[in-house]
Amino acid sequence: MNPSLVNVLLMAPALVLLAIVFAWPLLDSAWLSTQASSVLTGLAPLANDGANWQRLLGDARFWQDAASTLRFAGVSVGLELGLGLAMALVLHRPGRGRGWLRALALLPWALPTTVLALGWRWIYNDPYGPLNAILKAFGMAPYGFLTTPSSTWLFTVIADVWKTTPFVALLLLAGLQSIPAELEESLVLEGASPGQILRRLTLPLLRPWISLALLFRLAQALGVFDLVQVLSRGGPAGSTESLALYAYHNAMRFLDFGYSATLVIATFLLLVLLTACGWLLLRRRPLEISR
Amino acid sequence: MARTGERRRPGRSQRPAWAALVLGLLLILLPAALLARPVAAATTVRVLMPSPFVDATASLVADFNRDHPQLQVEVARGPLDTEAMSDLAIGGLLLGDTPYDLLMMDVSWTAKYAAAGWLMPLEGLLGDNALEAMVPGAREGNAFGGHLWRMPLNGDTGLLYWRTDLMAAPPGNIVELEAVARQLQAEGKVRWGYVWQGRPYVGLSCVMLEMIHAFGGQWWQPGSGRAGGQTQLDSAGAIAAADWLVHLVRTGVSPEAVADFAENEALQLFAAGDAAFLRNWPYAWREIERGGGPVVGKVGVTTVVSAPGHSSGGTLGTWGLSLLAGSPHPREAAEVIRWLTGPETQKALVLDQGYAPTWASLYEDPELKLKHPLLAVQRQALEQGPEVRPLTPLYAQLSDLLQRQVNGLLTTDGTAAGAMGKAQTQSAVLIESAAGEHTASGPLLKQAVSKSSHASGRLQAQRRQGVA
Repeated sequence: MNPSLVNVLLMAPALVLLAIVFAWPLLDSAWLSTQASSVLTGLAPLANDGANWQRLLGDARFWQDAASTLRFAGVSVGLELGLGLAMALVLHRPGRGRGWLRALALLPWALPTTVLALGWRWIYNDPYGPLNAILKAFGMAPYGFLTTPSSTWLFTVIADVWKTTPFVALLLLAGLQSIPAELEESLVLEGASPGQILRRLTLPLLRPWISLALLFRLAQALGVFDLVQVLSRGGPAGSTESLALYAYHNAMRFLDFGYSATLVIATFLLLVLLTACGWLLLRRRPLEISR
Repeated sequence: MARTGERRRPGRSQRPAWAALVLGLLLILLPAALLARPVAAATTVRVLMPSPFVDATASLVADFNRDHPQLQVEVARGPLDTEAMSDLAIGGLLLGDTPYDLLMMDVSWTAKYAAAGWLMPLEGLLGDNALEAMVPGAREGNAFGGHLWRMPLNGDTGLLYWRTDLMAAPPGNIVELEAVARQLQAEGKVRWGYVWQGRPYVGLSCVMLEMIHAFGGQWWQPGSGRAGGQTQLDSAGAIAAADWLVHLVRTGVSPEAVADFAENEALQLFAAGDAAFLRNWPYAWREIERGGGPVVGKVGVTTVVSAPGHSSGGTLGTWGLSLLAGSPHPREAAEVIRWLTGPETQKALVLDQGYAPTWASLYEDPELKLKHPLLAVQRQALEQGPEVRPLTPLYAQLSDLLQRQVNGLLTTDGTAAGAMGKAQTQSAVLIESAAGEHTASGPLLKQAVSKSSHASGRLQAQRRQGVA
């Protein structure tokens, strides 16, 4: 049999599955974004001459949420990559109890986001949460962690970083283990410092893994929903509302499914654009092992 | 032997007969008894309410359940926040399987819930004139599309609070209000003149609704189309309303922080003696009196004021009970509505909680008049025609748009005409996007609709006559 035909046949089940759970809902949403489908139309679709998209362009709440979501994704994914790399390097070192340490480090990632968000909500509670108990022990007044827009944003980022850094670390750890130990040994023999090894050998060879982690995390962070919904419900005064939350509100609160689909597609386009940029940025230069 | 034998014989033959009779009776009676049990058992009507109402009605519900073993009321505690409460209710309703028979609804939800087909009309169960004995203003916002969907439990409206120790009488219009506020500020008697709700949330929409009418404009022009009308936010009255509010902030009559004030922030500032006037709901009266602050006994309450030559009512902000479609026992549920919104329950709630009642008879009740001094003002506010928020299923989104534009205006240096023009365009696009049809003022079908602003005044007058 033709080998390429075999390839296609072997991939077919996966492709069909992807088409059903990914492509079809996406195309359906894209079509719905050109229709009015709300409580006014009895949820039946009616063409509305692109009014959904015109509304999107003038929708201050959409732009505010887009900016807030981008800021959230940029900062939290950046922090996660840095911390995740450090964590991966530590976990990569041979030593006693490494297996336990790895399992322990993965724990936050294994927790369901909703449970974790409830946990953080309690940690941030004003005035009874553990953080405020610590402040109180030092004789300080209780602090409302989730009361102002900027602090709510910051503490949402911290909760997200805490949960997803282990995921990045796990990916990068797999990458580190694929780097042959002899390469590092030979550099050590030639008198390279640990900093040089990291910059000249580890990072360049990790690049595909880093871009993979970036891709996954950006996609997740731009679609952030559960963490924000449980932690702050997008508050205070809508300042931490994410695009996914706004789309949800349009469907569930305003019963406007046409516009909700428009928001979903806009978020998707934004996501494609950003991940493409990130991917190109990291893929552009060919791998080089400097001497 | 023979006698005993004789005695036994008929006994032997009769015993199976008796046994058969008893068994037969049992067979008939047992299922009957089993079948009869559910009929004899109580019907339970489940009500979902926002948290504060659960506490307010707890003892009344307990009394009702004690007196009515056949009809039990079970109250589920919803969230405190209006929007979170709506989200919870809609979550169940969208799935088509809600465990509740009754839902406590805000006045601004009526149109959306009715249009979504989630409610059962009440006129068939409670009668066509169920609202007749209520104060005129309290009757509004309960019907939509020719049906009654909701029975109001309280008759709240926006009110103006003033300081009796700083002025002899409350201001008659906004010009007087501003002048008095300015003078008191200049004399150093208060830090701020007038505090209200400027945060981008439902409260700002209520303030805007009052102000737009106070300048002779209107937010919503009822009409044809799926949305049931269109907005008039770029009319002269609406622009003047936004302009006055931003003028208050920019000239220091209202603090800049008013842009982040909800009801409680404004109330705290007024209760601390730092402001001459406050716009708030009836609940603020009890909060101030209970709080024991520096202004206790020095607070007067009046209806909201307008620009000279115009008249505006306070925004209607009532809660009421609706019957959810799919309730397995609508008749019993309607009975619970009748009791929970009835005069006896409302009287108890006025006495315990300070709620404003909806029944006209309660405003004549000597005991209530004596114990609740706010009632006279509240009756006046309801009778002179409170402002009802746009009666359209799209209200929540339209309100969201307006809040953002006005709050943006308060915190940046734009013009009122610019902000309201944007709010108008965005509202028109929103209606086209959600209704799938062109609106007269929508940008997709550009048409000048200057004549509608003349028609608006007339319609407004007609509406008021209809109310009175």
